[in-house]
Amino acid sequence: MTMRLRSESGFSLPEMLIAAAIMVTVIGGVFTVMNPAQGTYRTQPEVTDLQQRLRIASDMLGKDIVMAGGGVYAGGMTGALSNYFAPVMPHRLNDPSEGVYFRLAQGATDASDSISFFYVPSTGAQTTIREDMPQPSSELKVDPQANCPPAKTEQLCGFYDGLQAIIFDETGAWDPITVTQVQPAALHMQHKNPLSKSYQKGAVVAMAATRTYYLQTDVATNTFQLRLFDGGLSDLPVVDNVNKLEFEYYGDPQAPVLLPNKSLTDPIGPWTTYGPKPPPLGVDNTKDTWAAGENCLYSVQGGQHVPRLTDLAGGVGQVRLTQAMLTDGPWCPDATSMWRYDADLLRLRRVRIKLRVQAPTELRGPAGTLFRHAGTSSAGQHYVPDQEVAFDITPRNLNLGR
Amino acid sequence: MGLAKSRSSASSASGFSLIEVLIATLLLATALTTLAQMFALSTHTNMNARNTTYTAVLAQQKLEELRSLTWGFDTQGLPISDTSSNTAVSPETPNGGTGLAPSPGGSLGANTDGYVDYIGATGDKLGGGAVPPANTVYVRRWSVEPLPSNPNNTLILQVLVFRNRDRGTANDGAGRVMPDEARLVTVKTRKSQ
Repeated sequence: MTMRLRSESGFSLPEMLIAAAIMVTVIGGVFTVMNPAQGTYRTQPEVTDLQQRLRIASDMLGKDIVMAGGGVYAGGMTGALSNYFAPVMPHRLNDPSEGVYFRLAQGATDASDSISFFYVPSTGAQTTIREDMPQPSSELKVDPQANCPPAKTEQLCGFYDGLQAIIFDETGAWDPITVTQVQPAALHMQHKNPLSKSYQKGAVVAMAATRTYYLQTDVATNTFQLRLFDGGLSDLPVVDNVNKLEFEYYGDPQAPVLLPNKSLTDPIGPWTTYGPKPPPLGVDNTKDTWAAGENCLYSVQGGQHVPRLTDLAGGVGQVRLTQAMLTDGPWCPDATSMWRYDADLLRLRRVRIKLRVQAPTELRGPAGTLFRHAGTSSAGQHYVPDQEVAFDITPRNLNLGR
Repeated sequence: MGLAKSRSSASSASGFSLIEVLIATLLLATALTTLAQMFALSTHTNMNARNTTYTAVLAQQKLEELRSLTWGFDTQGLPISDTSSNTAVSPETPNGGTGLAPSPGGSLGANTDGYVDYIGATGDKLGGGAVPPANTVYVRRWSVEPLPSNPNNTLILQVLVFRNRDRGTANDGAGRVMPDEARLVTVKTRKSQ
């Protein structure tokens, strides 16, 4: 007891001061490290996430766009889709809120944040129309092509209820359709889309990947989404917090030319350097608005086919196809078609995509170089700047002769 | 027994010596520094990941650009080749560049005018030339070589993209790729329609 009392003599003032100094140094050290570390702890997972979104968006767009224009390879009218119609269109297609005929988003002045394209995937669902349609019909009578898979219940030549498909012919006309019913025994199938024309015997019906990528921006609700619409059934977000999506198009500056030594009546194309072939001289397609021997790409002058498009930039290299050039005509298959498209789209060879992704609101600072849209973060150590990338895709099927 | 224990515990409650405290502080400081380095490391790793992504995308872009240049046959069946397009600027110009003309040897090892372009922070092209502009973030070099077994019709295209820095001896050997750099190789052949 006496011993304990003696040892409780307390600290001296110098001891106290040294202990306090050490304590302050240690705690100061801890705070020096912890304060920025907290910022890192908050931001770095978001940086990883942002980069991953950038990768996913660029990868998905790249892998999909590179397929654009892949055509049918069985049945009739084989070869790249660009021999028949423009498989890449610089706007949204079939926007659910806009009705069937669509050019620009509501209130938009420019569609450079949207792209639509088509390709025929690896599929047996490729066939042709069996009889001329008396009028634009929701019932398709098709041929039993050799490539057709065996008929099954509720499946005709690989077509089934809900399938996305395209129908097109040699005049440059095309329609996207959604199959609603098949009758294998009668070789009939129904679809739900109003057609732009009555197709003739021999027009192709094929399963198609129909893709519309577009940017949905709504600052009020903080929505910045890269979305994918499949042309009929689903309209889904692909990547969140994408605040810039721009498409630029580059194409062949030369006017189309009919290939020499190639008869226009030859069933196997291509017949011209690009785009749909004109009818032979003197032959008129009564279903279109063009004169005999003409189509949207070729007029007839002095008894010869003459391209309607001109050489751009001296006809060398590749030229940027501006929105104005892609919306001024001449129109294919003609200016009255519901699914008309600018003939200059047939020049298209390369797509440039500019993509910018951002962090969530709480990790964005004031709008400026670092941030396209302002956020609520007030301290630099809680900033995750936007990341932007530009890349090009050369769809292989649009460059077969290059 | 109980008394002895209590006495010994009482005598050991005499506190830490200054040396003990200093050693403990040192240990704590070392631990904290190591921990802080982990944060720095995570930031650095994310930077590397970003560079790897960018270099891969930029290398892919150059390959796609070169792929889209004319390298086919005209309507008479004669070969046509684009050897003048300048892909180092945006938008590309039909003249002033090298197109698909064969590159001189070593265009992946040094900045060779006509076979190099410089990229800014957002993936924008800053132009070509032998010297990078001030705001260059990535350097992209490429080479165009005829395939020895079919030199007139087939090209080997290679692209190397790296962050703008001195690569040191990596430039000497053919095709050394350092971390967070990208090098892609492809082949392009003339096809008749």
